[in-house]
Amino acid sequence: MIEHAHPTPKQYVAIAGILVVLTAIEVSLYYLDIGGFNTFALIILMLIKFVLVVGFYMHLRYESGFLNRLFIAGLGAASIIYLVVLLTFLEWTPG
Amino acid sequence: MTDTTMHASTSTGIDSGKLGMWAFLSSEALFFGALIANYLLFKGRELQGIHPRELLNIPFTSASSFVLLMSSLTMVLAHAALTREDQKHARLWLLATAGLGMAFIGGQVFEFSSFYREGMTLATNPASSSFFVLTGFHGAHVTVGIIMLLTLVGISLRQGSLSFGKGLNLELVGLYWHFVDIVWIVIFTVVYLIR
Amino acid sequence: MTTPSTRQGFLRRRIPATGFWSWITTVDHKRIAKFYGYTGFTFFIVGGLEALLLRLQLARPENAFVTPAEYNTLFTMHGTTMIFLVVMPIAAAFMNYLLPLMLGARDVAFPRLNALGYWFFLGGGVVLYSSFILASTGAPIGGFLPESVSRLGSAANGGWFMYPPNSGPQFSPGSVIDFWLVGIGLAGVGSLVSSVNLLTTIFNLRAKGMTLLRMPVFVWMSMVVNFLLLFSIPIITVAIFMLIFDRQFGTQFFEASGGGDPVLYQHLFWLFGHPEVYILILPTMGIVSEVLPVFSRKPLFGYAAIVFAGIAIGFLGFGVWAHHMFSSGIGPIAQVAFGLSTMTIAVPTGIKVFNWIATMWGGKLRFTAPMLFAVGFVAMFTIGGLSGVTHSVVPADWQQTDTYYIVAHFHYVLFGGSMFGIFAGLYYWFPKLTGRMYHERLAKFHFWTMMIGFNLTFGPMHWLGLQGMVRRTYTYDADLGLAFWNLMSTIGSFLIAVSVLAFMANWIDSRRRGELAPMDPWDARTLEWSIPSPPPEYNFGELPTVKSLDDFWYRKYTEDDEGRPVRRPEADALLAELEATHAHPKHRPHLPAASVFPPLAGLSALLFAFGILYHSTGLGLALILVGGVALLASLVSWGQEPVEEEV
Repeated sequence: MIEHAHPTPKQYVAIAGILVVLTAIEVSLYYLDIGGFNTFALIILMLIKFVLVVGFYMHLRYESGFLNRLFIAGLGAASIIYLVVLLTFLEWTPG
Repeated sequence: MTDTTMHASTSTGIDSGKLGMWAFLSSEALFFGALIANYLLFKGRELQGIHPRELLNIPFTSASSFVLLMSSLTMVLAHAALTREDQKHARLWLLATAGLGMAFIGGQVFEFSSFYREGMTLATNPASSSFFVLTGFHGAHVTVGIIMLLTLVGISLRQGSLSFGKGLNLELVGLYWHFVDIVWIVIFTVVYLIR
Repeated sequence: MTTPSTRQGFLRRRIPATGFWSWITTVDHKRIAKFYGYTGFTFFIVGGLEALLLRLQLARPENAFVTPAEYNTLFTMHGTTMIFLVVMPIAAAFMNYLLPLMLGARDVAFPRLNALGYWFFLGGGVVLYSSFILASTGAPIGGFLPESVSRLGSAANGGWFMYPPNSGPQFSPGSVIDFWLVGIGLAGVGSLVSSVNLLTTIFNLRAKGMTLLRMPVFVWMSMVVNFLLLFSIPIITVAIFMLIFDRQFGTQFFEASGGGDPVLYQHLFWLFGHPEVYILILPTMGIVSEVLPVFSRKPLFGYAAIVFAGIAIGFLGFGVWAHHMFSSGIGPIAQVAFGLSTMTIAVPTGIKVFNWIATMWGGKLRFTAPMLFAVGFVAMFTIGGLSGVTHSVVPADWQQTDTYYIVAHFHYVLFGGSMFGIFAGLYYWFPKLTGRMYHERLAKFHFWTMMIGFNLTFGPMHWLGLQGMVRRTYTYDADLGLAFWNLMSTIGSFLIAVSVLAFMANWIDSRRRGELAPMDPWDARTLEWSIPSPPPEYNFGELPTVKSLDDFWYRKYTEDDEGRPVRRPEADALLAELEATHAHPKHRPHLPAASVFPPLAGLSALLFAFGILYHSTGLGLALILVGGVALLASLVSWGQEPVEEEV
């Protein structure tokens, strides 16, 4: 039996607040469009939001390493596999 | 404090339902990953017909993204309420989550129909096709989630209380719901915001 | 105490009973396993008949036994059937039956979900085969489609991998392809659902003391298989949806003239398709890893190496998919990368082969039917693996691809491998399943006839292919010098058919009249042999505790100074005691109750699937509505049904 700590409702609301702020920053970046750095920054923000929801709302931060590895396995597999597929389309065209 | 998931002794110490749900969500990463990769493949190509990026309405979609984010908050508050054995607030927060989900779907329907009116349909070109298929499947997942949320409310009303052993489990539905939210977090950035 | 039926509002869970309805609503893993097994074997006969028709057509050059259209349907349906409707479900049968028994559990983690997996599989098979009756290949186009096609030619005809644009709307205007897509899609969801269940079962329902490295190899291989299913089925599901959309809703995902790309389909398909072949072979590698030690009276050589090699194969299996695309214009960098990864995957495979041989080396070998098939597996699979390694050399593959050399390769690994392994398992566990022994001499006849027939059928295909005989072509010219070995191959295929008849006769007769078998007829190593044959509904009267790998064996045997097994004096008493404890437990164990919702959901999904196929008609829309609502209602009701789980 694993007893997990749970964030309090107040903490959940605080996290929601952070998510809203991050989204606002993302949307501003869309309009500001600071060039090549834009995509990189948007991805970082996206990842932070992702980790916050997965870690705290989905509670993965407090769960066993097994569940963490299980979920990351799927994410990791997907990321690598589809990256390779997209790369093969980039790397060579006939003619 | 009510344990919201069954605590039979399992070899890993993890509740079986939870393990199964995380396994399923892990497989969904492969599903949505393929759909996102499709979009990424076609979005940069020279294509006939209207391209999604010409029609995307960032302010509108930002609002619906906010709605979906808030629904994750209400979901987690429902879980917290159930942990305190507060059935009434659990139901209320579940209904709020379902309501926000329905608002999100309403926004999607509005967005899609306006695209159709402006001449971008499912079949216009592979970029529009992959856009609609990706967001469409996401919307279908949200809809399934809404049905599960309403089922939980129904169980709570008919059987007096929600707890493991009485059927569908709130914590597992919550995991599914948050997952649908994080898929949108990725879609919003990759499809809408990244130029 | 028997579980009384509990009421939750108007929903009740029934107590397991007897009779037809108890089978339909069953959630007992052993019954579900039998469903998978018998259904899978029935499809084996059908797929085999398709193969015989193919071989009759190819027995002579320029033959006209079947029309070209019928030929295309036959090879497509033969491959599709054998892969999706035979080997996968029979492997599922083994996993379903054995996993709880080998783990020391009463049932799987999610018994209702387990049942649902079967009903979706059955639905998928029904949709696929209904094509012969209901579907059409479409109107003739500019001379390259025949004017009219017989019923035999009215099922999917695009090859089991269904590449567009051939399978797209322009070149396959009818409905046969859609039946394939919807049928396989539905069956795939069944496999996904099943994989979630079996993974949870393996991780969570192990007996006390059974750490992961004390699990039988069959369980480990099942774990890898279910991870492969978990990650690969979503990908083919996406490919199937996209092709359906191209065919039915005017999208151009795979249509180059519309900006799409047919190679995208190939990536998506083979991202599933390659892990799929490991899904097909790993369960039988697990079976063979159980059989060889028992009939060598030696522990499996290199248990940890075999386990980790299996994991490595699963892992690497996701990194080699484009070796099916070497001639699709993927470019030299991709070809080199995938050629290298394909060579790499031969390493863990080879490790397993060497460990199996080492298991037998110096052992006291008993050549029963299971052992013959297991040894046959090792030999035949090795041959198939060797031809596989030759495919990893890209320029060589350009020569081999789309010839009978490839056909030889995959039949050696899928028939010589998977099917031989399946027969090893069917004979090995027959006494546990039925409480009786099969007829040993008839089984040996089956083995030798099948061995000769199999090699006669597929051996010549190696050189036929290298001599230029192309795949998926309904005939060949008389002056190519291919006729003799094609005829031999056809004769071989009929020998296979004879051997299968011998197997069926053996199974049917032995079930009724075979000699009664004791609980542990083979003097085996794993937990399923420590309970009565056939097992009681609840499997174990008392859940076991284990202290090591092969715990059951070590309770019967100890070792002398030279490591040879020495039977413990208390072994016979132990067996009698185990049989009694499990047959007559002190407290009747609590079992999961039956449920009507899995079969109901399966039926609803089937109606919905037909609705999708007929979506442009009124009937189709009605089916979508009725099936969809019924599916929703079943699932919502299921969600409100009390969860009765026994861990």
